[in-house]
Amino acid sequence: MSRDRNRSDEYVRPLGRLLTAVLVLCLIGIFLLWRIDSPRVERFRAQVVDRVVPSFDWAMAPVTAVVNVGRDFQSYRQIVQQNRQLRRELQQMKAWKEAALQLEQENARLLDLNKVRLDPRLTHVTGVVMADSGSPFRQSLLLNVGARDGIKDGWATMDGIGLVGRISGVGRNTSRVILLTDSSSRVPAIVQPSGQTTIVQGNNTMAPPLAFLENPDDVRAGDRVVSSGDGGIFPAGLLIGQVAKSPEGQLRVRLAADYERLEFLRVLRTPGLERITAPVSLVAPRDQTTNSAPDGGEGGQ
Amino acid sequence: MESAATRLWLMRTTYVMLALVIFFFRLLPLDMTPPLWAGPDVLLALTFAWALRRPEYVPVLSVGLVMLLADLLFQRPPGLWAALAVVATGMMKSRARGLRDQTFAMEWLSVGIMIVGLVLGYRLIMSLSMVPQAPIGLTTIRAVMTVLIYPVVVAGSVFVFDVRKSTPGEVDATGKTP
Repeated sequence: MSRDRNRSDEYVRPLGRLLTAVLVLCLIGIFLLWRIDSPRVERFRAQVVDRVVPSFDWAMAPVTAVVNVGRDFQSYRQIVQQNRQLRRELQQMKAWKEAALQLEQENARLLDLNKVRLDPRLTHVTGVVMADSGSPFRQSLLLNVGARDGIKDGWATMDGIGLVGRISGVGRNTSRVILLTDSSSRVPAIVQPSGQTTIVQGNNTMAPPLAFLENPDDVRAGDRVVSSGDGGIFPAGLLIGQVAKSPEGQLRVRLAADYERLEFLRVLRTPGLERITAPVSLVAPRDQTTNSAPDGGEGGQ
Repeated sequence: MESAATRLWLMRTTYVMLALVIFFFRLLPLDMTPPLWAGPDVLLALTFAWALRRPEYVPVLSVGLVMLLADLLFQRPPGLWAALAVVATGMMKSRARGLRDQTFAMEWLSVGIMIVGLVLGYRLIMSLSMVPQAPIGLTTIRAVMTVLIYPVVVAGSVFVFDVRKSTPGEVDATGKTP
């Protein structure tokens, strides 16, 4: 029997082995190409995602809806408790509402006095979340708006309240949002009221830490963190969240956006952003761009 | 009764379809919060289970393309995991004959060793080429979960898709003894 097998394999085996070798070489070639020229391969990736994921969309929406209905049903069981809690919160909120109304009137008066116009360039495109990154290691999601709707790389994305992430990777019909929690996400921010600049540094946890604070002692839990717009790669003044202090004393941001339920997102049209086209052209003064190279492919996506 | 060739192509298509179903469930936008643990890599377990039972159902080309698509969809460095998975599947296929008469425990052990080797090799190459990496804790959890899910995937393959080890002397669709 064994001799029999050898004879029939004599022609098949080497061919199969050759095919395997060629395939493995091709795949490693793709990896090397990605390592050398990341933006080009990432554009290819955006195109592939743009083709594949929308074809799942017809089934994705109903399945997601069914799972969410199941979760909602679970939460009905705690409805009495929740109701009591909500009543209590409502009482507190009424007091806050009064305060807010007074402040609003005061604010309107002051704006009128100053003849301030809020930045009219910030208009937005609203998109629906189609898919998540599908991997526990990357925090990103896919929106159903893309180059067709004029979306560009680097634009900020918010839910109703706070910053969610930035666009990175645009296909024709879809675009990818790298969330603030992703380990490659870095957003320049400012802590109010102390006015200290910092960087919100995603690290794959729910509350990203604040890096490069000059005076951590001036920052208290509960301070607001907003984007600072430093470097011109991100619009300024968007709410990111509140400072929270971990038991070890590390300063982190509790994100304002509701990450557990991201459904509709606003992509802010921000013209005039610095564009990063090639891996070498960092946002830096002209004479410095040549001697500082970016740290890796993940930032270049 | 379906002919052997029909069944062969049917099962090859089934493998690709199953991969697409796995992708579909992983892409569902259910939870955007960073997870505390990582789920198993069902696709890898499925590929190994089928490669050990019916190597002809998972030809190298479909494994390579499916894994490359996974790399692209899940934001991994494209090509590297796919290349390693193709090599590992090839090694599994060449062991299939030796493991045919062994107990399931032996098979599970060798699959476990292969998965751990694959993950270690992947991280090694990633660090050599200085690509930023996922935290080691999550990667370990994922490898362990993949090893744990393997018997379930095997049971599913055997009882639902009837992918069993061939009995000695059986001739497969390509006309050779597997």
